[in-house]
Amino acid sequence: MSPRAPIHLWRAGILLVTLALWEGLTHPAITKSVSRVAYFIDPFFISRPSAIWARFWHLNSAAVRVPLWELLLSTLESTAIGFAVGVSTGFVAGLILGRNERLALILGPYIVAVNSLPRIALVPLVTMIFGFGLAAKVVLAWLIVFFIVFFNTFQGARSVDPDLIHSARFLGASERQVMRTVVVPSALAWTFASLTPSVSFALIGVVIGEFIGGESGGGIGYLIIASLGTLNAADMMVALIVLAATGIALAIGIRQLEARLLRWRPEYQSRA
Amino acid sequence: MPAVASVTFEVRDKEFVALVGPSGCGKSTVLNMIAGLVGPSAGEIRLDGRQPAGIPPEVGYVFQKDTVFPWRTVSRNIALGLEYRGVPAAERERRVEDAVRLVGLEGFEEAFPATLSGGMRQRVALMRTLVVEPEILLMDEPFGALDTHTKLRLQAQLLALWLARRQTVIFVTHDLAEAITLADRIIVLTSRPGRVKLIHEVKLPRPRDVIRIRETEEYAREFGGLWHVLGEEFAKADEGR
Repeated sequence: MSPRAPIHLWRAGILLVTLALWEGLTHPAITKSVSRVAYFIDPFFISRPSAIWARFWHLNSAAVRVPLWELLLSTLESTAIGFAVGVSTGFVAGLILGRNERLALILGPYIVAVNSLPRIALVPLVTMIFGFGLAAKVVLAWLIVFFIVFFNTFQGARSVDPDLIHSARFLGASERQVMRTVVVPSALAWTFASLTPSVSFALIGVVIGEFIGGESGGGIGYLIIASLGTLNAADMMVALIVLAATGIALAIGIRQLEARLLRWRPEYQSRA
Repeated sequence: MPAVASVTFEVRDKEFVALVGPSGCGKSTVLNMIAGLVGPSAGEIRLDGRQPAGIPPEVGYVFQKDTVFPWRTVSRNIALGLEYRGVPAAERERRVEDAVRLVGLEGFEEAFPATLSGGMRQRVALMRTLVVEPEILLMDEPFGALDTHTKLRLQAQLLALWLARRQTVIFVTHDLAEAITLADRIIVLTSRPGRVKLIHEVKLPRPRDVIRIRETEEYAREFGGLWHVLGEEFAKADEGR
């Protein structure tokens, strides 16, 4: 038995017990007495695993106008675009300000001011400007991701070891070559540290946009809001579980990309 | 108190000079001034009669600190200077291959620095500097952080490489034995603020064997005489603390 096996067993056990309790406590025969203790332990509020499973297949079938996987695709599309735009603009801005003391001093207070605004407060404004569709969702994701990546890259670009820069100069590097061979790779390690939280935050931005966006915006966020409208807990649970699974899948993807691009880091090296 | 008071010395073409003194005497500051990293508050540095502005292109610098780029493999680290100078890929590859062989790093070409020992990393740093064939090689306690065995091996490799190519070398160290083993002349600096205390010609024949040379009488005589002078400065540096 591998040393990880007990860990996996415990994980599977916790999941099974949770599902069994959930299914058991919401059984029609006992739910009346249980809900007297805690009113929300009732299929009306939290649905049941079996009902959620049934709705999952129903929502993916031809019986609904927009199937679940299409909603998911729409959410993924906005997330991916918002994430990509946020990461690239945040990275470039972080590099520029990180290597330009004067510009960083001038713009510092504005960046802090914009960043300290709760992003959700901007949702109505973004909706006014960009409407209910893809653009608004992308902008919301971008607004969050940009700052996370920006601050990390900024720190990374400022903390480049000056002796590495000197070494490059002694070897004949021009300003551009120093940027490309020293500053960018050394800042990238910091940038990557921000990507895992960024991808979750991009998803948050998109789902908030979909709450507001309504049917024309589509997406998993729309399914959640629509389920609230019809008081359909099972559909809401389907949406939440799909979102959680999406978040995990994206985080794993980022980890793998990181392990590839940062394979020089000691934590990815097996010592010779 | 300034690091350096008044330091005047000349280094001849293709000469191996060691700059020795207690820590804090400004050896590294002098080296950094020659390298163009810091400007002297008074006085001047001349290279072939010119006063260079900034980092002179004919100078190579090996730091004590590990400055190998961790995100590049051994061979891509050594190739850096050639890459910066726009040397074509085929020639780059050939010169890197030679450099790797010269210091016995074969088999580690594709390894990342995180997997290498300190001695191997310092060999990469040395070859990365030598592969662009600088006329003047500045070395700031390059073997200071290594264990004795590794240090001796690297000294031997440095001597062999220097005999083959004959750069002008200015080598900073606080290890008198290292200075005698390597250098043609030793410049002893006083404790902070540094002045030139003594310039000493090392009269040991070349090629030198870094281990056997220590067993010779001539070496013992060089060491004894210099140790007396340097010992005074070490004692003063200790009092100053």
